[in-house]
Amino acid sequence: MRSGSNDKAITYEELTPGYEFPPASYELNASLISKYLEAVDSKGGVLNQVQDVPPLAIAAYAMTSMSRFLLLPPGTIHASQELEFFRLVPVGTKVNCQAKVARRLTRGQMRMLVLEFNVWDESGEIVQTGKATVMLSA
Amino acid sequence: MDAEIYPGKVLPPVVRHISQVKINLYAEASGDFNPIHIDESFASQTPLGGTIAHGMLILAYVSEMMTQVFDSNWLSGGKLSVRFKAPARPGDTVTVRGKVNSLEEKNGVLYATCGVECCNEKGDTVIVGEALAKLISKGTTRGSK
Repeated sequence: MRSGSNDKAITYEELTPGYEFPPASYELNASLISKYLEAVDSKGGVLNQVQDVPPLAIAAYAMTSMSRFLLLPPGTIHASQELEFFRLVPVGTKVNCQAKVARRLTRGQMRMLVLEFNVWDESGEIVQTGKATVMLSA
Repeated sequence: MDAEIYPGKVLPPVVRHISQVKINLYAEASGDFNPIHIDESFASQTPLGGTIAHGMLILAYVSEMMTQVFDSNWLSGGKLSVRFKAPARPGDTVTVRGKVNSLEEKNGVLYATCGVECCNEKGDTVIVGEALAKLISKGTTRGSK
């Protein structure tokens, strides 16, 4: 997970359960998705046969949009991930993402954050939900 | 397709070689520039000892395996729950495997529950978890532009 460096970024200490990140919107345009497919080695593969956005691309952008507001130490890593895909969206769709802190855990030296996010399309239909656990470096 | 899915069915594996170039490409594509993925001098000073691939990159391979078998019933209606157990590093070859563990009916829809796992060439588990895909659907829900 990305370590944020945005002006509005908040620190781990400020992230309390229930904290809602500012909503983010982004367009899943052809250039973005083409770059994503190339990165995941799917050029010409099964995902490219459809004009829909791979759900994992949506999840990746949702995670990145969240991390824009996080000032986490470099080296923060992903511990677990849950995803549920409700709806396919075509390339070119603009989606909205809302994320919040579900839990904050400290066990000895280990600090973890559980973040939940929902992604909607322009018509307000839910596209995807997710829950990520990230482990912060000491 | 549904008749071909049964408990015990082994899903076709997805094999990918991980390179720093690929990790950098994923960083560019996703906007995730955490130095643990892309900065060798930083990553070598951490307990991980070097750069590692993004968990979401490896998870994309899990999704690819599910897509090959379940297609739109995975892409719309799929559910995934995984743990990242070990890092995938540049130079690793990872293999995603899966098996249908059970078929269950929920609210008139039949779901296949699959165990999924991604291992490196040494046999270390990188990702382990469960994926659920619809088997009988009354039509895929698709958004519109």
